[in-house]
Amino acid sequence: MAVTSPQTRMALATRRAGPVTSLDAEALARARRVRRAQLRVAAGTLVGAALLLVGLPALLDLLPRDWRLGDMPVVWLAVAVLPYPVLATLAWVQLRRAERVE
Amino acid sequence: MIALAVVPVVLATLLIGARGVAAMRSTSDFLVASRRVSPTLNAAAVSGEYLSAASFLGIAGLVVKNGVGALWYPVGFTAGYLLMLVLVAAPMRRTGALTVPDFAEARLGSVRLRRFSAVVVLVIAGLYLVPQFTAAGQVLTLVSGAPYWVGIVVAGAAVSITLALGGMRAATYVQAFQFVLKLVLFIVPAVWLLVAVGAETRAEALRPAEYSIFPEPTSVTFRLDTRLQVTAPVTVVAQGVPTTLPPGEHVAPGEATWVFPAGAAVPEIAGVALPGSDTWQRPLLDGGNGHPLLATWSILVATALGTMGLPHVIVRFHTSPDGRAARRTAAITVGLLGSFYVFTVVYGLLGSVLLPELYLSGATDTAVVALPSRVDGGVAGDLFTALLTAGAFAAFLATSLGLLLALAGAVAHDLLPGSLRRLRLTALLAAGVIVLCALPAVRIDVGAVVTSAFAVAASTFCPMLVLGIWWRRLTARGAFAGMAIGLLSSAGVMALGLVLRPEPGLAALLLGQPALFSVPLAFLTMIAVSLRGRPAPGSDAAMLRLHLDETSPFVSDPDRSSAVRR
Repeated sequence: MAVTSPQTRMALATRRAGPVTSLDAEALARARRVRRAQLRVAAGTLVGAALLLVGLPALLDLLPRDWRLGDMPVVWLAVAVLPYPVLATLAWVQLRRAERVE
Repeated sequence: MIALAVVPVVLATLLIGARGVAAMRSTSDFLVASRRVSPTLNAAAVSGEYLSAASFLGIAGLVVKNGVGALWYPVGFTAGYLLMLVLVAAPMRRTGALTVPDFAEARLGSVRLRRFSAVVVLVIAGLYLVPQFTAAGQVLTLVSGAPYWVGIVVAGAAVSITLALGGMRAATYVQAFQFVLKLVLFIVPAVWLLVAVGAETRAEALRPAEYSIFPEPTSVTFRLDTRLQVTAPVTVVAQGVPTTLPPGEHVAPGEATWVFPAGAAVPEIAGVALPGSDTWQRPLLDGGNGHPLLATWSILVATALGTMGLPHVIVRFHTSPDGRAARRTAAITVGLLGSFYVFTVVYGLLGSVLLPELYLSGATDTAVVALPSRVDGGVAGDLFTALLTAGAFAAFLATSLGLLLALAGAVAHDLLPGSLRRLRLTALLAAGVIVLCALPAVRIDVGAVVTSAFAVAASTFCPMLVLGIWWRRLTARGAFAGMAIGLLSSAGVMALGLVLRPEPGLAALLLGQPALFSVPLAFLTMIAVSLRGRPAPGSDAAMLRLHLDETSPFVSDPDRSSAVRR
């Protein structure tokens, strides 16, 4: 017989009983506002991500391959290094904005 | 001797795993470590779990084989966590569900959907696990000469014992430890390689010449039957027998060793770019199908959207105490993964210059581990080979742990009523089955098969999660139809491609990398079918409560709400 902590037991019981779906009107109204605000925040970040993932490959296909920074071709740097700081920045901004909504 | 490097990795995994035993008491504890893990520790664990053999070995190998464009793979792998942060991390955690099938049931109230989700988990985990074990076997074969099956059996034993002893609680510490281990074992050899190769090779790597002439007598052991296009008559020593090949197509049988003389023209392989050639240098993925931009986008869609649907990744977010912590975990993970992937380019470029013959043999997945001994024949080379072997082995162990857990969870928790004993037993059984599947799978391409798992996840779980969290009108029937279509148009289409083997071209591209159409198709089906039906009563509230943060006065987390009620 497995011994469970009270939290675990309650979590498992909740899971069996199905989700808590009854929220009062005030909570629902607030949840609607939060969801809409979060969607706006998400849309901004998604546009940024789309520019990077869809736009950058298309752009790199057009750029000349003999442009070099130091000794490394610019188009190589743009796929090997550039995306990571961009993604980290997008993540940071998204996190700050999402937390501010709450 | 070098193969012994895996021993400390396995021992440390077991030791940390064993420490978790005392803390584990229930199914919930086993699966999600009772949800008391801090964002930073959890992010390290997520990264540790995520950096698999495909990341540690596969991407550098793909650079040798397909060119610089293969570096888009890790960009997609990292972007997956950004999308997860934006779209699913916090609300998903607030459902209180333990696994994706749990989420399906909690949000849409359908047991049938939960069972179907569990089947999809099996497909994804299987596609992801088999190549991990294959890579383990290949690397051990390379460094020790031990038979392929030894590596697979060693990996399977270590993984299943850790799981059975410690479960996820152990796995959280194991994975966090393994992330640090992998990061160090990847970066330190990379820096050493950059210094040790010298200025000449470094310059050559940045301005690679096409690998068109063998600079020295080159021995190639073909991994698979390979069709070679010979352009000029050449005398090779095939299995010790000198043979003259006239120009034209020749098939080198798998496992055969051919020695090409110095100065001979390198034979071409249809659909594969010669290392250093113009196609190879292009910063897009060209699989020889003539549509590099479409191929790149397809890989990016599959990897970026597939990450959120990987069952072992999602379960990891439930170890965060609340939605906010889950979101922070995702954000930190983006940074941690970036710091690892930024070094793959070193192995890819050096591998292409120093080991271009891997292009012929097809054993490109061994490029990372084979590099040190090519640069330095002495003690230093052996040492760094050992370090990279240990890192690669850590990569198989970490990913396999999480995947086996998700697999065992799906079988024991979702398909059958679960108890702790059965969950442990299932993990052991699953490991056994995967080992059996990996034994004949020596011929697969690790990176390619892993990407197919991403495509399936992106076409099934991604639409269900995104629509389930943000769209109140999603119905259980719609989710079911969308996931079924997504599964057919991803896994089904890829299987069809394997049977049909189409000529290189647009059809081959779409059959091999279906994400570009299978993901929109799954989304559209889900939306269309849902719009024809009616959402279940209360589904509006079921969706909205996922957006209420735990700190608000309206408590929405089931754990906490139950605590308050008490």
